[in-house]
Formats: sequence, structure tokens, C-alpha cells
Amino acid sequence: MKHSALSTSSWLSSESDGPNCRAASNFRRALSTLRFNRLAVVGLLFALLGSGNSALAATSCDLEPRDKARDSSPADPGFSTRVATHRFLTQATFGPHKDDFQRLQGTAPSAWFLEQLSLPPSYHRPLLDEYLARVDPEVDFTDIFRVSTTTFSFWRHALEAPDQLRQRMAFALSQLLVVSNSGGNLLAVVPQGISYYQDILTQYAFGNYRDLLEAVTYSPAMGFYLTYVDNRPADPETGRMPDENYARELLQLFTIGLRELNPDGTSRLDESGQPIETFNNDDITGLAGVFTGLTYDARGRQDPEALARPMQMVDAWHAREEKRFLGASIPEGTDGIASIDQALDIIMAHPNLAPFVSRQLIQRFTSSNPDPDYVRRVARVFDCGSFTLPEGQQLGSGRKGDLDAVLAAILFDPAVRRGRDSNPEFGKVREPILRFTAWARAFDVEASTPEYHSLLWQAAEPEALGQHPYRSPSVFNFYRPGYSPPGTRAGRMGMTAPEMQLLDASTIPGYANFMTYFVFEGAGEDNELNALEERFDEAGVPFDRKAAAESFRVDYSRQVDLAEDPQALVTDLNELLAYGSLSPDTQAAMVDFIEVIPLSGGGLGDQGRWLRVGYAVLMTLTAPEYLVQR
Amino acid sequence: MTMDRRQFLRNTGLAGLGAIGAGSTIASFSALANEPGDPDDYRALVCLFLFGGMDNHDFILPYAPSAYSELLNARPELLNAQGEQRARESLLPLGAEANPAWALPPEMPALHGLFQSGSASVVTNVGPLLEPVTRQQFADRSVPLPPHLFSHNDQQATWQSSEPEGAQYGWGGLFVDALLGSNASADALAFSAISATGVGPFLTGRQTRAHRISPTGSAQYYLLNALDNARNGGADELYTRLRSHLSGVGASRRHVLERDVASAHGNALVVNERFNEAVGASEPLTTAFPGGGVGGQLRTVAQSIAARQALGVKRQVYFVGMGGFDTHSAQATTLPGLLASIDQGVSAFHTAMQELGLGEQVTLFSASDFGRTLAVNGDGTDHGWGAHHFVVGDALQGGRLFGDTPPPQLGHDADAGSGRLIPGLAVEQFAAPLGRWLGLDEEGLIQALPRLSAFDGGGLDLFVG
Repeated sequence: MKHSALSTSSWLSSESDGPNCRAASNFRRALSTLRFNRLAVVGLLFALLGSGNSALAATSCDLEPRDKARDSSPADPGFSTRVATHRFLTQATFGPHKDDFQRLQGTAPSAWFLEQLSLPPSYHRPLLDEYLARVDPEVDFTDIFRVSTTTFSFWRHALEAPDQLRQRMAFALSQLLVVSNSGGNLLAVVPQGISYYQDILTQYAFGNYRDLLEAVTYSPAMGFYLTYVDNRPADPETGRMPDENYARELLQLFTIGLRELNPDGTSRLDESGQPIETFNNDDITGLAGVFTGLTYDARGRQDPEALARPMQMVDAWHAREEKRFLGASIPEGTDGIASIDQALDIIMAHPNLAPFVSRQLIQRFTSSNPDPDYVRRVARVFDCGSFTLPEGQQLGSGRKGDLDAVLAAILFDPAVRRGRDSNPEFGKVREPILRFTAWARAFDVEASTPEYHSLLWQAAEPEALGQHPYRSPSVFNFYRPGYSPPGTRAGRMGMTAPEMQLLDASTIPGYANFMTYFVFEGAGEDNELNALEERFDEAGVPFDRKAAAESFRVDYSRQVDLAEDPQALVTDLNELLAYGSLSPDTQAAMVDFIEVIPLSGGGLGDQGRWLRVGYAVLMTLTAPEYLVQR
Repeated sequence: MTMDRRQFLRNTGLAGLGAIGAGSTIASFSALANEPGDPDDYRALVCLFLFGGMDNHDFILPYAPSAYSELLNARPELLNAQGEQRARESLLPLGAEANPAWALPPEMPALHGLFQSGSASVVTNVGPLLEPVTRQQFADRSVPLPPHLFSHNDQQATWQSSEPEGAQYGWGGLFVDALLGSNASADALAFSAISATGVGPFLTGRQTRAHRISPTGSAQYYLLNALDNARNGGADELYTRLRSHLSGVGASRRHVLERDVASAHGNALVVNERFNEAVGASEPLTTAFPGGGVGGQLRTVAQSIAARQALGVKRQVYFVGMGGFDTHSAQATTLPGLLASIDQGVSAFHTAMQELGLGEQVTLFSASDFGRTLAVNGDGTDHGWGAHHFVVGDALQGGRLFGDTPPPQLGHDADAGSGRLIPGLAVEQFAAPLGRWLGLDEEGLIQALPRLSAFDGGGLDLFVG
């Protein structure tokens, strides 16, 4: 059988430029044997993995000589200045908090990183329970307050949780391993499903990618979203075939992608210069059989908690035939759980995995169009499962896919820490959600009541942020990692810039309007409160008008004190929100604007100072230098 | 040739203004609009993209008794779940002959009416190809195939641009490029390509970029409006300065993305103002549209077409999108509602065009990622390839099915496996007559559809005359 012979042979062959990580080549060798003596080798393979790696990792994951030689950058400024501290925290969290610099000044970013790893995870389920306890149990299950409860918990943790690094990683993963409650589906009306999924991503944020994939595979949210819950084997009688949805997207979007990759994330090319496809539809049909037999673990009729428990395997509904894909095979008669185990191991062993996942995680944290050398350095760490922090501490257990090591490799890469002005192509358009959270954290917004802002219930509209947590329009997220914006400089240079996909004539003013509402504390308006109260009434949730009117109030006190010195105000905002990246022209335009607003009088009473701050904040948030993180 | 913002401004005489000042922009735009010319000289194409891959087998159904029983045979579980809705008696047969071969589902009575009255046609088994492919060639991989078949994002991009994800230019945008030439007015550049949903590659040309509108029209800055309203009260300077800031101009920048973001801001501000001014001055349509979703998008498109003269455009291409067609699961309960939404939205749009007297000047067509498998996975269907599509408008040779429609069975000559159809017609063959009708000459067509010559006949006779 021709079964993807081309792709198999090419990625099984050894490669001179590959990561000199022996774990990967062990995998390849083992996998090639797997085809001939599968059963015997599977056990051996895992024995190899379990024992061999950690010893290898320490040496094989260090910087390669070529990277060391090239790294002539000035020393990482660490947390020595406000600007450097805020830049690091912009990359690693939902935005620097106004007091962070004071707290961290003079400490090492790696110490902060280790502290973050050690913090207990902030889970979503307790917050969900808090909200559900407030909802009248008799209310229609499609009520929008109920639907929004997982969104509320997202905003609260993003804005207030101490384990910022973990929460930010979970959010990044939610854009790679996408489930969505868009369109009023089951995940919208039974919030337990998304909540459980949020907690999987939270739990495994610093864990291992293989373990994460397994938890995701058994999660009812994914089972529903990619339609493999209650998936049955082929039936020649009726012509029924197993649902291929998860098999396809697991390979295409979650693990290896469509094209064979070099270790630096660039496409491998065949002799005629064409990219090489990683799989064809026969692989999908073969893999689809693996994901048959899973069903909800429901304990009673209409049990919403079924969406908060791993799906159960029913072997009678699992395909018994041989499952062939990616040049490997799972023997006939293998039961469901073992089939999933083997399939995930086979996929994890694919050499595309490390560059494919690493490049996308880089895009979520630091840069839209990462230099191939940067991708290669991070992918190496992904393969080897180990990273040494600048102060010498070792991260990762040496197992392929250890995400704590990968995340450190992304954030502590020497080219990243070289500084914001070193490369006019490095960086990314800030995701709209992160633009908003950075504002809120910078001014210490009291954020425990997102439910009092209808804009936060549905932020996906182009008139709002154009992005909403766990609510992308499809499994393809809000933007594609390979998106190169047509008709732009970046597009002409062949750069990928995913977030540019959200930038158009509707969303640009939409974002500014969204921020205007929050910056100028639009929540207190009577008509807004009345509309909100109606929604609360419909859900049977008690409405606290005073709390609603005061919700999301900001602390501009330091800025108000600076209001009479426009340049000092602009400098402060520049450092706080934009880690010093506002150009002199933008700063001058802001100063010119602010000066027009009288400090007092002029019909403004004593509002002048406050208005100067509000406008200056809004101008910062709409400046291209803020919208691009570099 | 590519056109960046700087050139755009120079061409329109706006460059000398420096920071774009209030009022002056709108004035300059209007002054540079196309000369009035013949008000009847107008044509537009509207692409309705069905995201997710609409099931071709559940859109064009067999009506001939023998073929209908083949469908029963091929999809017993699904037809059982669909019940009465897919009973042969419920279907809406296409054509006037004694024994119609094909039918529409009962959720599409309006489209059926348009087909019967000659204002709609169906093009069957069309999809991405690099050259004609037989079943044997597909099995042997002996001819080049479009990359990443069966993958959503790649096939969406391929339908729109002949290339997978990452594509830069789509044929809608290239059509507009060809029609505008190099002396396009600012208005024509801004408003010849308009998207009512997120912007994909379809409407991007070498100089053409899509203007995004939302169901509420073109977006506005509330804060700027507030200052605008207060200008007499002393806010004039604040208004001008904030507007300049929001237009992204003025600062010198080195970073590539910052420069692109600044350009996008400048364009958005000016073009939104101009659009709102033009649409605000046009007569509101009386045709009622279904609320929300695709109906809302089509209503916005219709209202924008009503403002065509104020917008200074004679040829336009629009993009409208609708999701939910990836029916791996629960197809029997989800697809009928989607088909009904298409039916109601498209029929309202057709009525609105007649209200404007533009029935023969506007043509709407559907497109989608791909068709779906004939084989059923329990309660849904999986990704396919070739699919059936409709075209609506009074300029069409209506009431016809173009192309060979494969039978509802497995193993026929166009079966790529599980009833995924190997397209009999390339997207280029579907697009070519649309481009010719819009006004492209053969040279322009080849520029926009470079692979057209790989296929026989250069396209279908979709239009009268």
C-alpha cells in the first residue's frame, strides 16, 4: 500500500541539520521498527523514553555553538528599570500591574518565573459555582447570564489571579487547542464543559504536551466541539464511516500541521522545490477509527456534570480493525484506551510536532513572524524537554513536550531579551483581549465584577474587541498562524502576522469605542444600569446597583497628580502601558492635545485633571506603538 | 503594481494636506469622485461564502425515483433522522420537464421560485482543480492536485484565490484591479470591493483592498463624534487633534507592523466617514430582510448598492459570509435552518435589487470550502471536495443546471472516496463567466484566473447573450 510512503520515509530518514537530540532519533528509529514488529517495540519504545531522556537532556538542550557565537547582545536588563520590567511582563502576563515594578525592582526575571511556576493554580470551576449559585435554578438554560459565566471567570482570573504566567499560558493554549461556545451550542448552555476545559488548560499549562493532549482528547468539550463523542465504527451495512473531524484537526491544527517542517519551522521541500504534505485523507480515515467509542460519563438524565468529567470509553463501540496513519499502525483488536494512547504517542513522535507547536506558542507570547533560528532554539527545548534559566536553574523533566521549559525558552531567548528596538520586524500586534487586560491591570481595576459590563459578556462583535475568550468562530481561532496580511508591508515581505486578520475598518473604531467606555468609566450611566438590571432580572440574579455603578473603577490617582505637567503624564503612561515605546511624535501629539484641556474652569469644574488623564490614556491605547507589542 | 497609503494619498491629492484635517478629506473625496456618467452603467457581483463546507448532497437532491432510492440506500441513517423533510414528495423539483431529475430541499422555496422563473441557476460539482482529474488519476496521484484538499482553511483560500492559506490575492480583488486600471479615483479604490464579514483573500487585489462594513453600516468613533458635536462649544481643536491621532498619521515609524497598523487606522477613519456620508444620503430600502446573520449582511450590502452613485462606483464586488455548515454532527437538525436562512436572505436581496431597478445588474453566487461525503458518519457528514452552487440574478440564463451531477451512490467516476466528489468543473470555469459579465476582457480574465486555460471551453454560459 502506498500509504503516505513519501512523507513517512522523509521524516524517518536522519537529518544532518536536525536537533541533535537523541530522544527524537530514538523515536524515529523505534517508529520505523514499529511497522514491522509493533507489539514488541511499543513497550521497548516507552522504556527507552522513560529512562533515557533526562540524562540526555542536560547536555543536548544547551545552546548550540552557532547560537552562542551569535549572541553578542548586551546583557538582559532584567527588572532593572520600569521600562524593561513592563516589557517582560507585557510578554508574559495579561499586563504589568501598576505596583509590579516597585515589587520586582532589582530581582531577576528568572526568579519571578520560578515563583510563578510554584504558585497554586487558580481554577475556574470555583468561580463558575459561585455564579451558578446566583442564578435562579428555574431560569431558562439558554439565559445569557448563564452562558456568560465561563467568560466572567476568564476575565476575573486574567485580571486578578496571582498565577499570571499560568493563566496567560492557558489562554495561549486555548487559541491552539480551540473549543468554542460560539453560536449557542451545547457548550454555551452547559457552562460546566468550557469550565472543565479551562481547568485542563490551567492544570497542564506547565505540564507536558502529551499529557495535555490526552486530557483534551477525553474532555467532553472537545468531544462535542469536534463531534467525536458517540462516534461509532464503520458499518458496511449502512455505509456509515467514523467521524473524521477530530482526527483531521488533531493532526492539522493541534500537533503536526499540513506540511513537513524543518527543525526551524520552515517548510521542507521535495526535489522539485515543493512543500511535502504530512498526510493525506487515508491517514485521516485511518486515525478516525481511534476516536470511536467515547461517550459522556452521565450519571442520571440531563446531567450537566457529564461535561465536567472525562469521557468514558465503551469498547463495544470502538473500531476493532487495524488503524493505519502516518506510516504507523495500531493492530487489529486494540481496545479503545490503548488505541488512543498509541495514537498520541505516534503523533508526539512526529518531528513536526516541536517546530509546529513551538512556533505558534512564540506567536502568542512574543513575535508574529519569528526568526527561524528562534523557532529552532525553542523547538529544540520542546524536543529535549529541558531548559536552563539564565541564573542556572534547570526546568523541565527531560521529557519531550515539557511546557515549562518551552515557555521559558520562548521568554528568555537571548534575541527576545536583547531589547525592544533591536529588530523592526520582531513583535506582534497585541491581541485585542490583551490590550484591554493590560489597561485594566495597569490601573488596578477592581475586576471582581465583570458581570456588570455587558460589553464583557459578548466581546467578539466587531463593534467590541472582535475577540472573545473561548468563543472563536471555528476551530481555526480568530486568526491563523500562517496569515500574511495582503496589501501591507508585512504581506509584501512575506511576514506572518496573525492578529492583523482582526484589523479592519469595523474593528479599528470598535476597539477604540470599547476602550472609551472603560477608560471614561461609562458603566455608571443610568440607561446602561437599567439595561443590565433587566438582564439580571431575567436570569433571576439579584442586581446590586451600587456595586454595578462602581464596578471596574480605575485608580488614576498617580496620573491625576501629574496632570498639570502634560509631558510628565505622557512619560508615565508611556512607561506604564507601552514600556517606553511611544515615539517622540506620538508623545508630542498627546502633549499638544492635553494642553488644550484646561485644568479647571472652562465649564469643566474640577474635571480638567481627570479628563486630561482619560484622553491621554485613550490616546496611548490607540497609538500604533501600543497596538504593536515588540 | 502595489499601492500603499502614501501613493493612495498622492493620487487623490490628499498628500499635501499633511495630517488629514476634518472636513477637507470628505471634500477632496467628493471632488475626485467619478464624473456622473451614465447612471445605468453599473454592475456588481456578490459572493455568498458558506463557511464550513455545505453538503452538496443535501442541497441538490435526486428527484428521479431510481436515483432517489439510491440516496435512500446511501444515507439511510441521515434520511431517517431527516424524516418528512427529505421525503421525495416534499422536495421541490427543478425544471419544467415531465420527469425532473433533481430537486431542492423544501427549506428553499424562494430559491426554487427564482430557478423556475429564470432568475437562478445551479452549477454542479464545481471545486478547486489544477487541471482536469479522473478517478484513476486521483487514485494514482498521477496529476497535480490542489494542495491540502479537505482542509477547511486551505480550501476556503483556494476557492477564493487558487492558493491555500497564506494566499495574497483573490479573484474578486483581481477582477476589480482589472476593471479599475491605473487611474482609479479614490472612491473607486475604496469602495469597489466591500466585505460585510471578516476580510479574507477573496477581495484583495494588487491594488484593491476590501472595505469592511458591519450590519450597522460603517463604524464610527463615538468619542470623535462627541467632540464633533461640541465643536461650536470650543472642542474644535480637540476634535482636530484627536482625529489626527486616530488617523495614525504624523509619527515617523520604523517598525513594520506599527507602520501597517498606522496605515490601517488612517484608511479606516477616512473611508468609514466617506461611506457613512454616502449611505446616509441615500434613500432607505423598503424591502424587508430577515433579521440578523446573513440577512443583516445582505441588507447592508443592498443599502450600500443603493448608494452606488454617491460612492462613485460603477463596478463592485461584495463578500458576504455565513457559518455553521461543517455538519459533522446533527446535520438533520442544523442544516435545514441554515438552508432556510440562505433562502430568505437571498430572496430578500433579489427583491431589493429589483426595487432599485438593478435586477439585471447584480448577480449573487454561492461558494463554500468544499462539498461533503455522501457517506454518513452516524448523524453527519465529513469533508468533501466538489460541490453544487447557485447563482441568482435577472441577467442569468436561469432555470438551468450547469455541469454533470454525479449520482447519489458510491464508486462512480467522480467518487474520490466515500462520495467526496472529484470536481467536474474548476472554480476558474465558474468564475470566468462572472468576470466577463462584470466587464473583464480576456486578457484581464487570464490575469485574474491564470489557470483558466488549463480547462476546456474557458467557462460556462451562465448569462443571457
